[in-house]
Amino acid sequence: MKRSLFTLLIFTISYPLFAQLERKLVNENLPVELTFHAPRHINLLTVEPLDKKSMHFAIMHTFGPIDAGIENLFGLDNGANIQFSFEFALSDKFSAGVARASTDKYYHVFGRYHILQQTQNDNMPISLSFAGGGGVNSSNYDFLPEAAPNFAERTSYWGQLMFARRFSSKVSLQVSPMFSYFVDSREIYQIDGDQEFYLALGLSGKIKVTDRSSLTLQWIPNLNSDLSNNLGIGWDIEAGGHVFQMYFVTSQALNEPYLLAGGNGDSPWEEFRLGFNVNRVFATGRKKGKY
Amino acid sequence: MMRLILFSAFILWTSLASAQKFMTEEGKAVFLSEAPLSSFEGESDYLAGLIDLEQNLLDFYLDLNTLETGIGLRDRHMRENYLETEEFPFAEFTGKLDDVPSLEMNQQMPVKAIGKFKIHGVEREIEVNGFLTWVSEDEINLEASFEVLLSDYEIPLPKLVFYELAENQKVTLTANLKKTQ
Repeated sequence: MKRSLFTLLIFTISYPLFAQLERKLVNENLPVELTFHAPRHINLLTVEPLDKKSMHFAIMHTFGPIDAGIENLFGLDNGANIQFSFEFALSDKFSAGVARASTDKYYHVFGRYHILQQTQNDNMPISLSFAGGGGVNSSNYDFLPEAAPNFAERTSYWGQLMFARRFSSKVSLQVSPMFSYFVDSREIYQIDGDQEFYLALGLSGKIKVTDRSSLTLQWIPNLNSDLSNNLGIGWDIEAGGHVFQMYFVTSQALNEPYLLAGGNGDSPWEEFRLGFNVNRVFATGRKKGKY
Repeated sequence: MMRLILFSAFILWTSLASAQKFMTEEGKAVFLSEAPLSSFEGESDYLAGLIDLEQNLLDFYLDLNTLETGIGLRDRHMRENYLETEEFPFAEFTGKLDDVPSLEMNQQMPVKAIGKFKIHGVEREIEVNGFLTWVSEDEINLEASFEVLLSDYEIPLPKLVFYELAENQKVTLTANLKKTQ
């Protein structure tokens, strides 16, 4: 009796509290956002999606090895590999891009598709995306005594799955099993490998240090070649609509086939060089309020 | 003891008797940021609210994840760096009317609300001026506006972006609330 009375009392007294609205999220399965600062992370692509009809422009550079010394400004004089990359989102899930890198005057088309997206309530613990593409080496080989490679022999292809998880607001990790395939891997191409098929595991890490900057890591162990593994360490800075990425990396390669086949010198320190990306997302503007 | 039971029963009865309760889940909330180099608006159509004229209780909340400015990346930065919606998903206001007006059909009545506004985990006492209009048999319309000073709610404004994001955000609410039991 006493207890039921007490319950009644509590209920009546707390009634005004019940009269308040219950706080409900409009979408219970909110996606985890900003796993990485940009669709690119040092040299690899990420699971970071683009909004429909927005375009991501990245201009990426890697310079000569640092051990070139002060007289060559630590490699900056030794010719940069520069890649321009434009990626356009046809939907919130799928984007297609074109890129051009200086190394072997490589023209490249690629696509990225987001299969799963991690949610804040952990109903979906990871994000999963697929990316793949192909490109052609457009260098002039007329100077060769033998016949220059034909179009097919100049092409190479690649594909990768990207499994990523933002473990906390500070730490994100992505594991990307990747392959690349060169129809013909001639010595004259600017790659160290002599195989056609390459397998590797791309590892990308982000550790947020301040609200707008992060320490970034990249390690790409080769799984089926004797080439040394790619190692990169850098710093991402968000500044307004731009994301600046500065890094030291063991290869001049900026695209997937060359990252896997290109080689990284005999020791990690031999080929260490400075790299620099500028990322910008151009939004075409969406209807507001229609969540 | 008997007195207590009667008292409780009375409270319960008066609470249940309130019939002047109006609610919505699709009010509109708009904020306007006017900085020297950039002005933009964010809006949401998911303002949830309760106006109980009998008990004189106002209760509103907004899922901040639903605010959109038209640029997806800006929205993500707003959620992650400023509002920190993962930790603080809602903006909330609970309070009462300074003076409950007697509403007449299609007549805009000025009202003043006093209560607690909470965003980014910080709660402050505020006053909001607005208008209530009885628009149909079972519907009232609310229009209200107030200003939110970001620093009042410990939302940091980095020096680098002060010219793109205003310290003083103008908030406007518009909602049609339907009578409920």
